[in-house]
Amino acid sequence: MLLELASIQKRFGGVTALRNGNCIVKAGEVHLLMGENGAGKSTLMKIVAGMISPDSGEMRFRGEPVRFRNPAEAAQSGIAMVHQESLLAPHLSVAENIFLGREGRHPLGWIRRREIEARARRLIERHTFPLQAEALVGKLSPAGKQMVEICRAVEQGPSLLIFDEPTSSLTESETREVFRIVQELRLREVGVIYITHRLEELRAIGDRVTILRDGETVHSCMLNELSTDQLIQHMVGREVNSLYRREPLPPGDEMLRVTGLTSEPLLKDISFTVRAGEIVGMAGLIGAGRTELCRALFGIDPIDSGEVQVGGKTVRIRTPRDAVRAGIALVPEDRQRAGLATGLAIAPNVTMASLRSVCSMGFLKLRSERLLTTEQGTRLRLKYDGPAQLARRLSGGNQQKVVIAKWLVTGARVLLFDEPTRGVDVGAKMEVFETMDQLARSGAAILMMSSEMAEIQAVADRVLVMRQGRLAGELPRGASQEDILRLAAFEEKVPQ
Amino acid sequence: MIQRLLPFATLVALFVGLAIASPHFLTGPNLSTVIRQTTVINIMALGMTLIIISGGIDLSVGSILAFGGFMGTLAMRKGYSVPVAIAIGIAAGTMCGLLNGTLITRLRVNPFIVTLGTMGIYRGVTLLISNGLPVHEIPLKFAILGSGTDIFGIPIVLWILLVCAVAMHVVLEHTRLGRYAFSIGSNPDAAFYAGIPVAFHVTSVYAIAGGLTGLSGMIEASRLMSGQPTAGQGYELQAIAAVVIGGGSLRGGEGSVLGTLVGAFIMGLLSDGSDLLGINPYWQPIIIGTVIILAVWLDELRKRRGVS
Repeated sequence: MLLELASIQKRFGGVTALRNGNCIVKAGEVHLLMGENGAGKSTLMKIVAGMISPDSGEMRFRGEPVRFRNPAEAAQSGIAMVHQESLLAPHLSVAENIFLGREGRHPLGWIRRREIEARARRLIERHTFPLQAEALVGKLSPAGKQMVEICRAVEQGPSLLIFDEPTSSLTESETREVFRIVQELRLREVGVIYITHRLEELRAIGDRVTILRDGETVHSCMLNELSTDQLIQHMVGREVNSLYRREPLPPGDEMLRVTGLTSEPLLKDISFTVRAGEIVGMAGLIGAGRTELCRALFGIDPIDSGEVQVGGKTVRIRTPRDAVRAGIALVPEDRQRAGLATGLAIAPNVTMASLRSVCSMGFLKLRSERLLTTEQGTRLRLKYDGPAQLARRLSGGNQQKVVIAKWLVTGARVLLFDEPTRGVDVGAKMEVFETMDQLARSGAAILMMSSEMAEIQAVADRVLVMRQGRLAGELPRGASQEDILRLAAFEEKVPQ
Repeated sequence: MIQRLLPFATLVALFVGLAIASPHFLTGPNLSTVIRQTTVINIMALGMTLIIISGGIDLSVGSILAFGGFMGTLAMRKGYSVPVAIAIGIAAGTMCGLLNGTLITRLRVNPFIVTLGTMGIYRGVTLLISNGLPVHEIPLKFAILGSGTDIFGIPIVLWILLVCAVAMHVVLEHTRLGRYAFSIGSNPDAAFYAGIPVAFHVTSVYAIAGGLTGLSGMIEASRLMSGQPTAGQGYELQAIAAVVIGGGSLRGGEGSVLGTLVGAFIMGLLSDGSDLLGINPYWQPIIIGTVIILAVWLDELRKRRGVS
């Protein structure tokens, strides 16, 4: 046995994150760790990687009882982890980050920059990642940072490698590359623990699976002994349809019309429309410009030319404030950074964009604010203790609901969702989809950016595909993943 | 929870300890002195609370205090009435805060650097205008502001502090401005994305704090019965310390009026206690500095434990 975890417990203050964590991993197997957000997967893996220490329980690595005091000790024993949230130094280059702390020992502490860059370049080429060894990590997209994390972990030559949702920000082709790396590690007798929420990924790579629920290991078996529906049942403890299918609506009036939108340096001449009641999916590879389109439409990046109409009226959007006033809302990709004030309670987050509606003469009507918050909480089936609960104490899916609630109370009619289910567990994912459907039914026009093609297939009425900052084409509902991918990546260059 | 109560417990412990250690502590004149001395810092610290909650910091408050106090007393020398002069002192402070806020939001320079710069600038301007000489030609009744007789047994300065504290509490907890300050301090990006006019509110926050500091300057001038261009040096340390000891977070988004009051009184008692017990006054900045680091450390410990 490579790794044995028995009755691991961990409490944070009054919250029990793990009450009974068990897991056995063999060398040369890909072990999936499944469970909803808050089930304790990440906590368990952080214990294995030496980032936090358990309150009780036993951990054996290669048969020896171990207890790591810090990540360096775990790394020395041969355990590496690819983190979901990037733990990189933004001011250093890709190469420097890959070799950070392992630059090689020079008596004067000298860093052999050329050598490190050359080694990094070889590593990147081997994995065919679209990275440049000299580029600053701070300038990379979330996906780029994820690739650097993967390079960094693989480079350590670990005997146990933990992936914490490595593909949640990656496109399909990048995901395939990650799978290839995982297969390679398996052949080299490395143990791989893989945390993911994507059901379609599981069968492709997993050997065994361990399922956690509410801080407890509830099931562990070979993956082929378990159907997807059984798996989901173990995770959520109730029946869930494994595939969501949205019933399309007859589309209403045109709510958003974008004509010839250009925003340097990436976006060029983008034109499309979204109607009321419609959910339009926006597919594309990482770097195709989907997030940039959101940013331009929301007034974060300047629009150089082109026209935006909301509800038939031309609007000038230079700041997010203009966008909010025009009735546009953005549920951003990076929830923790841009969507939520995690240090504040839920109520102030819900009313943040519409504080005037619960104000008179500049004074807050705290009662109305509480009412509004509980109203939205019920509507979105938010799992929370009350309006005064801190937003950071919520799970990922519930945090996402708070962000959505913030925009619901503004009465926004055009909603931009940028990767709405990123880092959200299966059950909550369905609820996010249902919320989007509900919004569309009440007359909203929704544009959803997503890297997950299955997600776009399940939810979108139409699919727009972006490539290299341009609109590569439009596909009807029911378009196959192959069609989308062909437009996003493989068709010949867009005519200039 | 224990750490939230720690400032209160410290204040009570200090109070009881000093009452036992010195027979002079629990006397009317001594307590009245503590209150008068603490009020100047306290009113500044109320403004600082607002700034720190919004994620900023103001190192220039000591210089603003001198500028406000000097401009107010100068107005009296020119023959303006006392109320008008006080208004001028407050307005001068507000202008300084407005400039701080404008520089921070327009130039998008870190508030630490902007106010480090204006700390020098406001001090220099005060010294230039005054030529380094204090204003002494002040009507006698101006003394009422700082050392005036009691109303219902409470010194006038304490009334002023109470009014300011209640007003600041209402601003923080019950107005849009206060809520926006919390939002901006907690997550500036989320606040901007929510369409909050961030620049306007940040500027307002600094202007309000400047006004309160100008008022402090007038109280200080009244206590000294002169407009001293060198007044308020090192006060920024005490004002920031009061906020931080009272649970304000330098990362923004956290802080309260009650906490700040407790923090300011803890420092007032520390200073009074060392006087009463005959401790060398040069120890005071050392103690305050240590307490700031201690308070922030405890805050970090609490956060580290709270985040899973």
